[in-house]
Amino acid sequence: MSNIAGKAYAMNVITPIRSYLTWVNKLIFWAAVKVPGVLTGLVTLSLIHYARWVIIPKDKFPHLDPSQPKENLNYNYMLFFSNFNGSWDQYVDSFTFAIPGGLDLFWKWNIRYSKSVALTPFHDYIRYNQLETIHYYNAYPLAASNDVKSAKTVKSSLIQFEKDTQTVSDEEFLKLYNGLLRGLQHDLGDMYPTPIVTMSAYQVERRQKWHEGKLAEAGENHGK
Amino acid sequence: MASNISGNAYALTILSPIKNSFTDDEVSYADTVRDRLQSWNSEPNSPMALVPQTYLCRYFVLDDVYTESLPGASAIDTLIDLLPFVPDSLRRCYWPKEDHLNSSYLVFSCNFHCGPNADLDGYLRNMWNTISDKIKEVWGFCHGFDGVDNADKFIDYMKKCQFEATLFFVGSNDDPLEEQLKALYLKQEFSKFAVSNQGLDTATLRANFKGFIQRVAPANLTAPTWTAGGYRIDKLVKRG
Repeated sequence: MSNIAGKAYAMNVITPIRSYLTWVNKLIFWAAVKVPGVLTGLVTLSLIHYARWVIIPKDKFPHLDPSQPKENLNYNYMLFFSNFNGSWDQYVDSFTFAIPGGLDLFWKWNIRYSKSVALTPFHDYIRYNQLETIHYYNAYPLAASNDVKSAKTVKSSLIQFEKDTQTVSDEEFLKLYNGLLRGLQHDLGDMYPTPIVTMSAYQVERRQKWHEGKLAEAGENHGK
Repeated sequence: MASNISGNAYALTILSPIKNSFTDDEVSYADTVRDRLQSWNSEPNSPMALVPQTYLCRYFVLDDVYTESLPGASAIDTLIDLLPFVPDSLRRCYWPKEDHLNSSYLVFSCNFHCGPNADLDGYLRNMWNTISDKIKEVWGFCHGFDGVDNADKFIDYMKKCQFEATLFFVGSNDDPLEEQLKALYLKQEFSKFAVSNQGLDTATLRANFKGFIQRVAPANLTAPTWTAGGYRIDKLVKRG
């Protein structure tokens, strides 16, 4: 089980929703995409890589084989998948603080939704309905969502700077270089692994150390 | 399926029903799928690192849905509790009903770069071509997967299990993965350069910068760059 891959956390939440009210939810989601500014609150949560909501109608679970029993459900189900940076509490709380109204709109029609304020019932609701990830892959475990965004700025600035300084004098070069650093001061910074990148990476490292006979040196030979 | 797409990023959601059967060792197929996915965690890196353009993805097994069974706490519930003549049958019809799934489902949720043409087929084809052994390892226990032995059949199968996202939010960016990895590599290297080249005279700084640009080759996406899924700082950089 691994909800964590480097700096990203995988959250999966499944909640029942009354089938005769699902269209309202879909309308709200549709409006959120179409009406400018509705997702502004979500954009301010810069800790998110990617997130999505999926509604599965009660009679639309895949039925691929006659031997497969058909589902007989009372409710439709809403799945929420998110990839975010930081801890579970930070994420859930930042949702509550940044977009409590939007959050309530998205989940409003779900059975027993507690509302995003107060925090404790909301925590309980999410925790109760959360599913654990078994395998989680992240293409850049060392990078947060903000790193990916700032790296894009660094890359384009660097390419532009190199182009602009091909034929300038040394004095002009220094002026532009200082300007480059000033412009990128919010985008630069080393990235390093978190203490445990993933439980799997941790186990792999341990196994490698074991084979190299270094566990004893590191004082990690418990159970040896 | 436009709502699966945001710019050049794609949100793929797959639910594949797992057969209600047991292995010779009397382990349910759902638990076997779970064990196999778990075993991927012990490999040096995820098999998904080999699938081009994968940003982030996850696998888990959905055994059942959650039933919201807490007793009512609304004003109506409280009122009904106070009225002893209200029959239990009426009282219960306000409460959430209990749902259970008849099959377990293998859930695969993936975010990848799909390009301007929203190329899902291309992504799934690459997935099959790079990790078909791993795919069979887990999807082999699912209904309808028998007979899937090439990329075209795999694409057809996955589309039968696909769900449309009602809202897909991209908080990062939707550049091709190699662009993102190169940019991260440059950010890392230029941060080090900026720190280690402070206070130099302009001629030296300029010469060092020239050497730096030649070494990091900003426009070359192939190398040097970060490897997809790399988590060890000493093995992160892929050189040409």
